[in-house]
Parts: sequence; structure tokens; C-alpha cells
Amino acid sequence: MFWNRAMETIRGDELADLQLKRLKWSLHQAGKTGLYQRKMREAGVSPDDIKTLEDVERLPLTTKKDLQAGYPFGLFAVPLREVVRIHTTSGTTGKPTVVGYTRNDLDNWSELIARNMTMIGLGEDDIFQNAVNYGLFTGGLGFHYGAEKIGMTVIPSATGNTRRQIEMIEDFGVTVIHCTPSYALHLAEVAESMGKSLDSLRTGIFGAEPWSESMRSELERRLGLKAYDSYGLSEMYGPGVAFECPEREGLHIWHDSYLVEIVDPATGERLAPGERGELVITPLVKEAMPLIRYRTGDITRLMDEDGCVCGRGQKIERITGRCDDMMVIRGINVFPSQIEHVLRSLPEVGDQFMVYIDRVKHLDEMTIEVEMSKAAFSGELQDLARMQKKISAELQNTLGLRTAVRLVEPGSLPRFEGKARHVIDRRGDA
Amino acid sequence: MPPWNPRIEEMPIDELQRLQFKLLKSQIYRLYSFNEFYKRRMKEHGVHPDDIRTLGDLAKLPFMYKSDLRDGYPDRIFTAERSELVRYHVSSGTTGKPTVVGYTERDIANWSESLARAFSSCGLGRGDVVQVSYGYGLFTGGLGAHYGAERLGATVLPTSVGNTERQVELMQDLHVTAIACTPSYLLHIAEVAEKMGVSIRNDTDLRMGFLGAEAWSEQMRTRIQDWLGIRAYDIYGTSELSGPMFTECSEQKGIHVWGDLALLEVVDPATGEVLEPGEEGELTVTMLQKEALPMVRYRTGDLTAIDTDPCTCGRTHPRIGRIRGRVDDMLIIRGINVFPSQVEHTLLGIPDVGKHFQIVVDRKGALDSMLVRVEVSEEAFSDKIPDLMEIKRKVEHRLRSSLNVSVEVELVEPGTLPRFEGKSRKVIDRRSL
Repeated sequence: MFWNRAMETIRGDELADLQLKRLKWSLHQAGKTGLYQRKMREAGVSPDDIKTLEDVERLPLTTKKDLQAGYPFGLFAVPLREVVRIHTTSGTTGKPTVVGYTRNDLDNWSELIARNMTMIGLGEDDIFQNAVNYGLFTGGLGFHYGAEKIGMTVIPSATGNTRRQIEMIEDFGVTVIHCTPSYALHLAEVAESMGKSLDSLRTGIFGAEPWSESMRSELERRLGLKAYDSYGLSEMYGPGVAFECPEREGLHIWHDSYLVEIVDPATGERLAPGERGELVITPLVKEAMPLIRYRTGDITRLMDEDGCVCGRGQKIERITGRCDDMMVIRGINVFPSQIEHVLRSLPEVGDQFMVYIDRVKHLDEMTIEVEMSKAAFSGELQDLARMQKKISAELQNTLGLRTAVRLVEPGSLPRFEGKARHVIDRRGDA
Repeated sequence: MPPWNPRIEEMPIDELQRLQFKLLKSQIYRLYSFNEFYKRRMKEHGVHPDDIRTLGDLAKLPFMYKSDLRDGYPDRIFTAERSELVRYHVSSGTTGKPTVVGYTERDIANWSESLARAFSSCGLGRGDVVQVSYGYGLFTGGLGAHYGAERLGATVLPTSVGNTERQVELMQDLHVTAIACTPSYLLHIAEVAEKMGVSIRNDTDLRMGFLGAEAWSEQMRTRIQDWLGIRAYDIYGTSELSGPMFTECSEQKGIHVWGDLALLEVVDPATGEVLEPGEEGELTVTMLQKEALPMVRYRTGDLTAIDTDPCTCGRTHPRIGRIRGRVDDMLIIRGINVFPSQVEHTLLGIPDVGKHFQIVVDRKGALDSMLVRVEVSEEAFSDKIPDLMEIKRKVEHRLRSSLNVSVEVELVEPGTLPRFEGKSRKVIDRRSL
């Protein structure tokens, strides 16, 4: 099933012509921002130099750092009065990344999600429980608008209150659920303990954190549904950038809206077709915040150029990792540098720390071991408890995530030479 | 402020009433013909759609109560096919099953239209950045305000509730000009901001707030406006009506209720008798255009009065006064009706005490006792020799004279009473324990 057959199946010269036309428009749009005026000048290239799609390699790459430097509105290519939505995501330093949307941007975003959901056979009779965070996180509102566009019945359940979520699935006859894969496993566990079989569920849409094929089998077995992988990032609207079709061998990425390249994460050089590297995307229809060659930090490769048996075009492989040190904890991006930043602001602790990530009952748990500073180390139990609380609160404020803090004696954490390895991810292949 | 939909908002009263009658008539016919629940209700009540010949005949129809929604859980009294529904909201009930509200596409459109009119009557427009700090998700506050502001073309920042320091940073950095949240959460944000060294009045572009989902008072408005340097507007709605739907206009003289969407009555909560405009009683609402879950003479449980005089802003639609309390929040202390809003009202008139309070009701022997815990204001607290006994006596005296019941007051340090994000729960009734 297609939501927009023409755009979903466009290929060959027709696609290349459309992409080139839209690329030129995007360059023009990006040229309205100070950032791209400067970047293009530094790269010694002007929009007029782009005559074919191959010329895209001459354009400068954009990184998350560029977005942060533009905080808050430096990347907006339209006046604020044309911006109808702002989302923010936490970044590596104190300030978040700000993403703006015009009304057309919201329409396009919803259209892409409508395509994804139609592609896996969903329609207006489906009842959709959207069990991800609403608000500043793009996952909730993104899928909400997409499902509404199709005319599905949306239950904006957000996260939390798992027993209530299960009751709603039963009472409303929910057919589709969207959540993080780890939350889905948690749901399965609670449902089993309640003796609920959740018979109405047929489809699960899972994203916002990496998950494996074995997790897919487990989710499908325990929840009795078909599980689909969803990929997206706020910089490209949010979720909906790439999505599995019923074949479930790779994710379709919408080539009319995104120009896709794979580069070497170390050098930024474009890689040969089929090679694995960092996904770089140039959005082709974004108005409020156009981007050029944005480095997603995600590792994947482009699959068979001839496209898919479903009739749609070239796919990307499921994301196999991140090229930086970002951790995704319960769907929230966490950078070790954020933790370092917080600890440095507290005189009572040293700057040595270790992060442990575990999966407890299918939910990610983050524990941070911190060394006290020699001066503050009194050994008094009360002092320790107070300190622990303070550090937890500071971390929660910065990361937007609850963490367990363990204080340890000065000098007891391992020291690394060169690039420190602060993170031990024990989630394995849950 | 110029109307969003001038044809409707400035419609002459007689024309508006003709429109209301037409909408009422077709809604009642539709419900009687196609819905078992409404048909049975009307039959039991001995009334037929043909009996509705004037707007006044509305009073012939039976009331609807929250219990009807609960009994119909989840969707037995819906009047739209499942495939026509595009949304469910669910409000947690204090007892047992929650209340479920379904929406068709047109229901969502009317809801957004209602708030777009309301927001623009306060001067909100495309150039504004609106921080929506109501909870998103099953609660109607977040998505309701979100869709209304988006309809208007304002820039929506969907912060939802929580992570208050981040809210303050974003308010400053993104040049937020309007906020929608509960009044208690706005006060919390302001307190956190001050701790961060940020004055909302001097360091942000905030100029208005749409405050609701819990009862608040005129004194609280004055305090918020003076402290934060903004205009604070009252917003009204319940999930049964769709969600937050109506606000005051820039005149701040009552909440405009759009007559093409809702038909109002105020009734005596005890007898159900319809009261005159200006008389205080229980607000009863008939939704004229709702498709999925229509409400006919729905008893909201909210206490207020209707004002039918045209507003100086030029809008012709009736207004309701600030909600004075809940019929079911009413505490009966030694036979006397007491509303938490009265306590709030009284405390805000006393400069020695802060705005946060807690009521503890208990039974000592056979007698009800009422204790009010209240925070001393920062100024009175930092005073070298605070005459706390005198303040306590003064507060007790003021409360006794406004409530007609004797009250014991306990003064506590500023910042020690619990702050609630979302609806405040200020009453602890220990009598049933």
C-alpha cells in the first residue's frame, strides 16, 4: 500500500532531476543563514557551482557543533513568525540544539510518517497507542501528527503508568503501538504478570534506540505482533526519516526528501557504494532549518541500488552504531562530556568518573561512579548522602535523566592514558 | 483585540440565539434518532425532540453527569463510528475506571478553533512564541493549548511539565512571549527562575499567561501580574467539553464562551433548578457541535455565574465568571460549606503570608476541626523579631470572618509546603480515616 505512490517509487533520471532541483532550492534557502554563507565561502563554493548531483561532494559538511554554535535561532532561514513549532534536543554542552518548523515543514514531516505507516499496512481503522514522550522530544508529536494525517485513532498515552497502558490496549482494542524497544519489553513483562495477552495488537513500531534482530524475535513472540524499525533524528524533523517495509530487510529512506551519502567518519570522504560508514543527509524540502550534508553520526550503508521488491527505492541498512561516544539511554541522548561538565562544576568531587549502563527489567539504568575530592572526603555518612543527592540532582537537570550516583574514594577509579574510556555499556544484546 | 472569526464572535445576540437553537435542535434530533443512550434518557424523562421549540425548552431535557461517562466506559455512549474517531483522551478518575473522551476530526478542529479565537482575543498572534507547559499526552491541557496556538500560527514550544530549570532557560533564550500552564506551576517556574537569578519581569520577553486546570483567584492574578510583569488570563474547559476551550479576553472581565459551540446554564447544585444570569450555581453545558461525545446539559461540577451583558471588547457571546470552586470540592465543616478557593482568596489579602497553603480537616471527638497551614512571607520571616503569634491570630481572625467557621492556623517557613506540578491538591481530609 502506498500513501503517495508517485513519490515513493520515483527513481532513475526522474528522481535525479527532482533531487537536483530541490537541492538547488535548499542551497538557496540555506544561503539565507549566516552559518551557510560563511561555510560556503570557506569551502570556496557557490550554489551556482552545483550543476549535477555529483557536485554535492564539493559542499561543506555540517556537524552538530555547527547547530550548537548557532543557538538558538542562528540556523533559521525564515523569520520567527513563520515558525510554528520549536523542538529542542540535549547536546554535548550545556545548551540544547534548537529545531524550528514552518507549517509546510510540519505537513511534510507528517506526510513522511503517513507514508511509513501506510507502507506497513496501517490505515484509518487502526487504533494507535503512542507510548513515547510528548513535548520537546520529537517522537511523540511526530508520530501523533502522522497517524492523525492518515485518520487513525490516536491514544496519546505518552510514557509511564504501564498497567494503565496495558488496560488501554485491552479496553480500546489497540492495534498498533509505538514505543522504544526496551519499553516494549517492559510492557510485555508487565502484561504477562497481569495475565493479559493483548490480542488486539498487530503492529509494533520501535525506534529511538538501537535494537537487535534477536530482540525483534523476542518482542514479536511475547507481544504477538510484527515489529518494525523506525529511524529518525530531530535535525531532519524527527522520526520518520527511514522505515522498514514489510520485507524488513533494511529501511526505506525517502529520496524525494533526503539526499543520502555515506562518508568515512574519520576523513569525511565519500565512500564507494555499499561500503559502511557515517550517514550524511541533505534534507531537500526543509524550510525553517535547511541543512547541508548533515553528519548524523550514525553508521550504516546503502543497500541494493535497484531498490526493493515492494516497489520503493534504495534502502539503508539498520543502524549498526554511533561514530561518536553518544549513549542512548531510554531514548535520551547522553554524552560523557555532559557528565564531565557537571562534575567539573562541583568542587566536592574530582573529575574522574565511570559510567555503567545496564538493562534492568528491560529498562536502561545508568550508574555513575564519581571520586570525591581529597578535601571533601570526610568519611561522614551524612555528608556522603547529601553529596550524592546533590550530584544526582545536578545530573538530572543537565541530562534530563535519573541516574544512580556512587561515590568512591579519591584515587580508586582507573586512569586511562590517551582517550579515556569512561563508559561501560553492559546492556549487551538484551 | 481584533477577532479571529469576526462573523461569529461579533454576531448580534438574536442572530446568535437563532443559530444556537438551530444547532440544538439538529443535535437533539441526531442523538434521539441514532443513539440508544440519549434516546432512552429522553424517553425516561418523557421528552421528545419535538418538544424543543425554543431555547428555553432546553430545561426540559435530562441532565448528564460524569457518572454517565464512567458507566459508559470506554466508548458505549459515543455517537461516532470507531473509524471516524481520530483521538482519545483519558482522565484519571478518583474512583475506579477513568473517563474516556473520543474526538472526530471535526471535534478537534472545533476545539482548536475555539482556543484560536480565545487566544487572539488576548492579543496572541503569529509573532508570539508560546511555551505550552501543561502536561502532554492523555491530559487534554497540553495538546489542547498546542493545537489552538498552532491554529493561530504562533510558534509553539511544547515543553510540557517538568525540568523547570530547562523551562526557564528556554523561556529566556527562545524569547518566549506567552505561557500556558497551571497557575501553581507558573509560580513554581517563577520561584525557580529567581533562584537561578532570572527575573521573569526583567530578564524575559514573557507578556502573557493562560492559566487554568485548577481554581485560582483575583488576588492571585494581581500577585502574578505584579510580580512577573505579565497579563494573566483565566482559561476554562474540562475534558468532557473537549479540553481547555475558553479564556478571558484582554478586558479580563469573565471568560467568553462561544455560543455556537456551547450553550450554558447555571443550576442550583442541590435541586437542578435553572438560575438567573448573575446567580451563582453549577455550570451546566450543552455542546452544540460535538460529534463523537456530545454533552447535553452536562453538570460540570464547577461553581460560577453567567454574565449575558455584551463585553466592552465587542464580542457578543456570554461570559462566565471565574470558577469559584467545585461542587464536590466543597468541604462541609460543622455544617457550613467551605471552598478551598475562599481560603486562598482570604490568604492572598494578607501580606504577611505567602500564596501556598494546605487545609487539613480532622474530627476531634464529634466535632470537625479545620487546620490551615500557611507559609509566612519571606519579608515577615526575615524580620528580626517576627511577631508570629500576632500574624497567626490575624490570619485566624480573617479566615473565621470570611468562612464563618473557626479555623486553627499553623505558620510554616517559606518554601516548606509541597508544590504540585499540575493540579494542586491542597486539602487533606482525615475524617473518613
